[in-house]
Amino acid sequence: MSILRFVLARFGAIIPVLIGVTLVVFLSLQLVPGDIALTLLGRFANAEQLETLRRHLGLDQPLLVQYADWFMRLVQGDLGDSLAQKIPVALILIPKVANSLILMAGSLILVIAFGFGLSVLAAANFRGPADRVIVFVSLILASLPVFWLGLVLLYVFGVKWKLFPISGMYDMIDPGGLGQLLHHIVIPAVTTAASSIAIVTRVTRSRLIDVLHQPYILACTARGLSRRRVVLRHGVRNSLATFANIGGLQIGYLFGGVIFSEIIFNWPGIGMQLYESILQRDAPMIQGCVLAVAVVFVLGNLISDVIVHALDTTRR
Amino acid sequence: MVDGPVTGKVASSRRRARRRTNLYFVWHGVGSDPVARGAAFLILVLLLCAILAPVIAPFDPNAAHNALRLQPPGTPGHPLGVDHQGRDILSRLLHGSGMTLLAGVLPVVLGAVISIPLGLVGAWYPRLGEIVMRLMDIVFAFPMALLAIMLAAFMGPGLLNMILALVVTLVPYNTRVVYAAATQERQLAYIEAARAAATPDLKILFVEMLPNVAAASVVYSCTIIGAVVITAAGLSFLGLGVQPPIAEWGIMTSEGRSYLVNAPHISALPGIAITVLVLAFNLVGDALRDSLDPQTRLRLVRHRPHLFG
Repeated sequence: MSILRFVLARFGAIIPVLIGVTLVVFLSLQLVPGDIALTLLGRFANAEQLETLRRHLGLDQPLLVQYADWFMRLVQGDLGDSLAQKIPVALILIPKVANSLILMAGSLILVIAFGFGLSVLAAANFRGPADRVIVFVSLILASLPVFWLGLVLLYVFGVKWKLFPISGMYDMIDPGGLGQLLHHIVIPAVTTAASSIAIVTRVTRSRLIDVLHQPYILACTARGLSRRRVVLRHGVRNSLATFANIGGLQIGYLFGGVIFSEIIFNWPGIGMQLYESILQRDAPMIQGCVLAVAVVFVLGNLISDVIVHALDTTRR
Repeated sequence: MVDGPVTGKVASSRRRARRRTNLYFVWHGVGSDPVARGAAFLILVLLLCAILAPVIAPFDPNAAHNALRLQPPGTPGHPLGVDHQGRDILSRLLHGSGMTLLAGVLPVVLGAVISIPLGLVGAWYPRLGEIVMRLMDIVFAFPMALLAIMLAAFMGPGLLNMILALVVTLVPYNTRVVYAAATQERQLAYIEAARAAATPDLKILFVEMLPNVAAASVVYSCTIIGAVVITAAGLSFLGLGVQPPIAEWGIMTSEGRSYLVNAPHISALPGIAITVLVLAFNLVGDALRDSLDPQTRLRLVRHRPHLFG
């Protein structure tokens, strides 16, 4: 019951935030220097085209009316038409969001598996050789720029060794199938996940070391429990909340990473679309992409908060 | 004079003592850790490179040696090779260090300068603070990189716009740190004493509280510089930041993309440079944070973990 109430309270709290998000995304268009229509269409637009675009974007109305109009249409799922593709933004966005979520899920699985595994391995061998190697590697990983790591992996695994495909989600010939998807997702997911794995590992390791130095762990050992049982059953349980917490915080970084991975590996997701739309000066499309990511991000945070809440027995 | 000489003296001597301990711990934490010391030294060297680039760089960063296009590292006269336009990569890396440092560090500094008064005033006037923090919550709804990309995209490319976009993105995070620290600080006895002595609000905030709260903000700033350097280089990589032909490490990485198969060194070298710089900032930031965090200080004494706290 308490979990349900927590979820409802959080839901109530994110609604004003989401309204604020729409306001920020709407107002961001005002940052375009000079005449917005002229900037979007380029120097060679004629007066008629400019007028049409102004009317399409509602630029001839007062700002508040523009926002009210835009917001009302948004609530009905209408994000306007893409300037480049002349079809509704929402229609383009839906498959892209799905593709990004697939990459996101792949990266999150890597972060959870490696972040958890490496931190337990390191903490259980505190100051041993395995610990030192993990600490050193995660230091480096946390400092790698995601766009450069992507290029390096692309070169090593795609160009040099030809182990993995390096572009898109499926093969060019006869696309489709889970096998192809899994083959294509490995390198982009590793690229996205790398620095988050490092951060999760270091924080969880540090927490687990604290836990393993507590008296009750000594008591467990004194009762003759095996080291494996002490660490995995009694130690890990007390660091799960920290793990879920830091893992949840990584969602934001992963979204940032996904944008770069998609651009480098031609992954047809929201980041790739955002990049193309920026190059094409497709303002409604840019706004749609940002809005979509922000909404998914807020919901992702909500889910991770609920998980942390469920795991954190002391706070309850 | 409302506040008597005695109160003033007590408050100021307490402040002085506290500031010395912080400095002491910074000096001991960062100074006694050889890894952090090495990292700080490395940052200094890169800063020197940035300042001395016009003197020590063997070539002009934009001079084209057309005959040597795409030559790998080890080419005579060009120890790090030549890029796709025949430009000497070592010279471009040296010249680019300044731009990369500037684009990564300046937004953090400006962000702290805005955040500290904002957080202090917010913590002092709870109603105003509540409004400010709710507004900041909206910014937290965007992944950091996404917000910076959107702002830079709409404002148009360029160094100045990128720095502005990053400042807007960073201010909420830093303000939250200052706000949290100041909210705790205002409950302490010395603030109560200052209020009892009818010290003006602004004096309490910016003379009494500032030195104690600023430490939290500075430490936070130092720990995020690495991430901001990566984000700034990433924006330039996407074409939203510093514009070619200016030498900057993010742009250099991006320019090599089309030549990855034949000349991977064009992208590889600036990326390594970014990684080394970020690693150095991260190591110094960690040491600084540990040295000022009382909990880590205790833990350091108890079972001395290495490198990571």
